[in-house]
Amino acid sequence: MSESIASAKSIRRRLLLFLLPPLTLLMLVGVFINYRTATIFVRAAYDQKLADIARALETQIQHSSDPAHPEPESLNAPAGILFSVTGGNGKLVAGVPRLPAAPVGSTPLTYGDASYEGRDLRLVTCRAPTTPGAVTVITVAEYDDSRSNPGRFILASTWLVDFIQVDITLLIVWIGVHLGLKPLLTVRRQIEARSARELRPLDAASVPTEVRPLVDALNLLFEMLSGAARAQSQFVADTAHQLRTPIAGLLGSLQVLMREPAAAPLQSRLASLYDGLSTLSHSANQLLALAQADRSTSLADVFRKTDLKAVVERAVERNVDRAVECGLDLGAECSPATVEANARLLDDLLGNLMDNALKYTPSGGRVTVRCGYETGRPFLEVEDDGPGIPEVERPRVLERFYRIPGSAAGGCGLGLAIVDEIARQHDARLSIESGAEGRGTRIRVLFPGS
Amino acid sequence: MRILVVEDDFLVADAIRRGLCMSGFAVDCASDAEQAAAALAAEHFDLALLDIALPGADGLTFLRRLRNSGTHLPVMILTARETLATKVQALDLGADDFLVKPFEQTELAARCRALIRRSNLKSSGQLTLGRLRIDITGRQLYVDDEPVELTGREWLIVECLALNAGRIVTKERLQQAVASWDQAITPNAVEVHVSRVRAKLGESVVLRAVRGLGYRLDEPQ
Repeated sequence: MSESIASAKSIRRRLLLFLLPPLTLLMLVGVFINYRTATIFVRAAYDQKLADIARALETQIQHSSDPAHPEPESLNAPAGILFSVTGGNGKLVAGVPRLPAAPVGSTPLTYGDASYEGRDLRLVTCRAPTTPGAVTVITVAEYDDSRSNPGRFILASTWLVDFIQVDITLLIVWIGVHLGLKPLLTVRRQIEARSARELRPLDAASVPTEVRPLVDALNLLFEMLSGAARAQSQFVADTAHQLRTPIAGLLGSLQVLMREPAAAPLQSRLASLYDGLSTLSHSANQLLALAQADRSTSLADVFRKTDLKAVVERAVERNVDRAVECGLDLGAECSPATVEANARLLDDLLGNLMDNALKYTPSGGRVTVRCGYETGRPFLEVEDDGPGIPEVERPRVLERFYRIPGSAAGGCGLGLAIVDEIARQHDARLSIESGAEGRGTRIRVLFPGS
Repeated sequence: MRILVVEDDFLVADAIRRGLCMSGFAVDCASDAEQAAAALAAEHFDLALLDIALPGADGLTFLRRLRNSGTHLPVMILTARETLATKVQALDLGADDFLVKPFEQTELAARCRALIRRSNLKSSGQLTLGRLRIDITGRQLYVDDEPVELTGREWLIVECLALNAGRIVTKERLQQAVASWDQAITPNAVEVHVSRVRAKLGESVVLRAVRGLGYRLDEPQ
């Protein structure tokens, strides 16, 4: 069932399946006709040989001293050929006895088929008037099966040639379909190379007219999808905004409450409330950042020359206090570097990388933010000496809401998805590796060279 | 020091009021632009915290009105919407700082202190940072009101760090600040000067080295 669906779905296979029966039939007819034609000629050639032998015998008789009674010793035929010469009196002069003769015809030389000692014969009979009133009958014959070898050879070669012809035809069809479908493959490759959130229209100008309606329909679909995606991220952004004010109120009140002397006995309960609320607040912010990164195709106009060192400085500045609180050594190693980018998105990108590093690196650890050029391409990088990301988890951590099983601190699993999305917007390559000496994590964002 | 909080969300306003009171500020609240205008006309404030999404006239409209009337009162914008456009608009209209909700109480208090410090510097030429008093015009540093002797380069470093208190000052920037005084100076020499300054300031402030970037001067929490 699935096999038939698969074959119905492949144009190449459909075409081949459609072509195969008629081509095979044509091949069979061709083989038949070729074989028949060839055998007629072969038969004629063999018949001619028999006739030549018969004439030679006749000449022999005519030239003998007494044509009515030729010498039997002077009459012979090549090996494999049977003959009989019957005199005017109807007596056998030479050759094999009782050899049938071809029926009498309008010419002195007639052909016929007969059976002799249970085997099929092809024979030619020459009725020559040797003396007035007396006719000498010369019959030359050959067993059919001694002719069959060339016949079989012809049949085999006809088969072979026709079979090769059909194969070559199918091969040409296969290649032709392949070449004909190339524009479709190009479209397919264009689509395959895309991410799920990349909804730019396909280039309709370069495809042939037959494929164009398909590309147009796809583009229409992409447009609808990107409209829906925009609406969705706008909704997420609005929701996140709406959440911020009440969260600010709750967080602020809770912080104030925790500092009041009267709350001392409730400290641990207030602290866990505060942790939960902080996670909620963080999630709302991350959702907003993700929605903004998603929507930033509309922000394309704010891509301008951005100083990566300034991005690093801002990010470190924002996180110094937190690093001190967590007992981490936060530092930077910057070489001057610029990149064509949206500075706000880069702030989000680096902020998220640092957030992860600070969250997962245990106290006493070291977090270093770097920027600079690597073989002419600008990069941003965050390295820590924390627990690291196991190699098997690395592709998955970029997924939205994915969290490594058993990971400790309260993240929402959006951080690296945001980083990935922003890197994608900048055509940058995101790589996750182990840090120095195989410890910790080093995440690098390598921008395209200018 | 007195702060006016213009915020219509009761929970947020209440949290800010209580938090800033604990940090030693006097706080009044207004829930819309009219109330805020009335309060400003009646009393003196050192700083206003302004929410953008207010009922009636919004925060930015109120800010424009305030600046048009020639008031130099420092204003910090509080908002849930951190779009670049809003931020640029607010700063263009004369806002002095911009803080996105939700925020930490400690950060809010630190930013309020920094804004008031800057505004005082403008009016008095003096900067107060915890137990430090820096007389910018008189080029004199006081710790607990006792004058501290500094070399020319040390003074330039203290001045540069104090004017940017709460922010990272890169080593290059310090290098430039010091080099303008006389000949060029190496990054290592900057470190030597900073460590001398650190010795002279002692525990009166927090002078933090940020690896690979520079230094940050803070008042002790």
